[in-house]
Amino acid sequence: MIRLLAAASAVALLALLRLTSRAEVVLWVGLLGLALAAVAIAAGWRWAATAAAVLFMVGYTLALRLEGRSVEPGVALGFGLALLLLLAAVDLTGRARGATVRGPVLGTTVGRWLALGAGALLAAMLAMELAAAVAGTLPAMASPLLAAAGGLGSVLVVAALFRRAG
Amino acid sequence: MRGRLTPLALSILAVAAWAISLGVLAARPEPFLVALPGLLVLATLARRPSAPRCTIAHRISRDRLFEGEAATVTVTVSAGSPVALVELLGPRPPGAQLGSGRHRALMTLRAGDVVEWAYELRFPRRGVHDVGTIAVRMRDRLGLHTWEHRYVDAMAVRVYPRVVPLRSLPRPFHTQPSVGDYVSSALGEGIEPGDIRQFAPGDRIKHVNWRASLRLGRLHVTQRHLERNADVVLMLDTLAEVGAPPETTLDQGVRAAASLATAYLARKDRVGLITYGGVMSWVRPASGAAQYERLADGLLRADVVFTYVAKDLLRVPPRVLSPQALVVAITPLLDRRFAKAVLDLAARGFDLVVLVVSPVEVTRAALAGSPTDDLACRLWALERRADLAELRRHGLPVLEWRPAEPLEAALVGARRRRVRLASAG
Repeated sequence: MIRLLAAASAVALLALLRLTSRAEVVLWVGLLGLALAAVAIAAGWRWAATAAAVLFMVGYTLALRLEGRSVEPGVALGFGLALLLLLAAVDLTGRARGATVRGPVLGTTVGRWLALGAGALLAAMLAMELAAAVAGTLPAMASPLLAAAGGLGSVLVVAALFRRAG
Repeated sequence: MRGRLTPLALSILAVAAWAISLGVLAARPEPFLVALPGLLVLATLARRPSAPRCTIAHRISRDRLFEGEAATVTVTVSAGSPVALVELLGPRPPGAQLGSGRHRALMTLRAGDVVEWAYELRFPRRGVHDVGTIAVRMRDRLGLHTWEHRYVDAMAVRVYPRVVPLRSLPRPFHTQPSVGDYVSSALGEGIEPGDIRQFAPGDRIKHVNWRASLRLGRLHVTQRHLERNADVVLMLDTLAEVGAPPETTLDQGVRAAASLATAYLARKDRVGLITYGGVMSWVRPASGAAQYERLADGLLRADVVFTYVAKDLLRVPPRVLSPQALVVAITPLLDRRFAKAVLDLAARGFDLVVLVVSPVEVTRAALAGSPTDDLACRLWALERRADLAELRRHGLPVLEWRPAEPLEAALVGARRRRVRLASAG
């Protein structure tokens, strides 16, 4: 069942990619990601799942660049949640390999990630509203720099949290 | 208990970082939204979660068994607080096989839950196996934090070598004064009738032979042969072994030693043990059920320890290796130092039997069975035949045992005569 969840996540990621763009190159990147995800699910290798997630992410960005559509927060959030679910399910697959599973392990895992999805949706809506309000006040020339600084800042914050927790 | 971040947290961080970088490069907001759930998960690291509370207990169905038998390990987990995911790695000593169930478990527990999980371990090889350690790993709700600790409750399973019943045993030349199963030529207290003589003052009435007394007209008594026991010392070669566990030449030798010890002890003999190898150890001869325990403990620990040093049997105290004892040397004859020690014993006038565990068959069983292997084994068998003939030329009784055949078949062939060598080869 845990493998099925991981496989469903990988297939959902490919479907979302196809939904975003019909370009052949995006399909190939997606298929490569799916193959890596299949290896990860079969072998329980975490590194392969991470690589597959990054490939799906590259494919998604490529699809966005090629299509140049308007922002679709629902698809993006679904994509992010499916990526997390893939990573978590492969991690659980590796741990459950050759083990006796007792209690509602899968049910609680799925429940937790669904709750997280709802939280992420709320946070995204809030972020989008905030972004729309702030966007008007920012100078257009500085926006790439601000985006890079914001990205770097968030990664640094998370890295600091890692240092504190680890 | 040690807490740390999980590899899953690192994976999420890597993917989120990639998403943010790609968002900046592609100048699109969607990758940031993709990273959002991951960043939300990682934001929970800001609060330091406390370690879940859970207690472990385990028990073993049997702590003493024979090779090939199985024991059930039962682990009980009690949760003092909710545990999102607990991974347990139960004891599985090297060499033990899983019979039924699995020695790893994955559980989700609510506060107050008590879960029991059991699996069966089969022990194909003798030894003292540690089954007292359980590795526990607990994770938080999102799988970012993990706490690990080892639950240790000193527990061991003692696996004794398989014993086969033996009826034919090499008979000792010398007997001891204690009561045993060997009928002595000397007359005294016993069961076997010996001679008849005239009654003398002090003779007991129950010894009167009434038939002879009536025929001869005077009281006669039946004299009986004394029944004696003997000292038997099993000398196990632990200098070298071949074959794949649990069927190495040493394993077979240990089984033979255990069977011989059981059979001799059943005859009320005093049995001792010397393990001759890199580490030399011994058990003083004694009789009874407790002695079997001592011998079995000695055999459990018998292992090959490499050494360049040839140990001198003079180090063994005479009360262990008495000159009156029958020495049964159990060896695959892979190391010339053991053959030299055996010849030395024979030269010192010890009553000696050499039981050779054939390493050719054991090695052949461990090999793939290619024509080259087969040819090599045949050449080795010829070479060994010459070696055994050399020992027999010295007058030593050499019994060759192929482990595929019953041990009794090898022992039946024992034809012995007293030997005294001028000097050790």
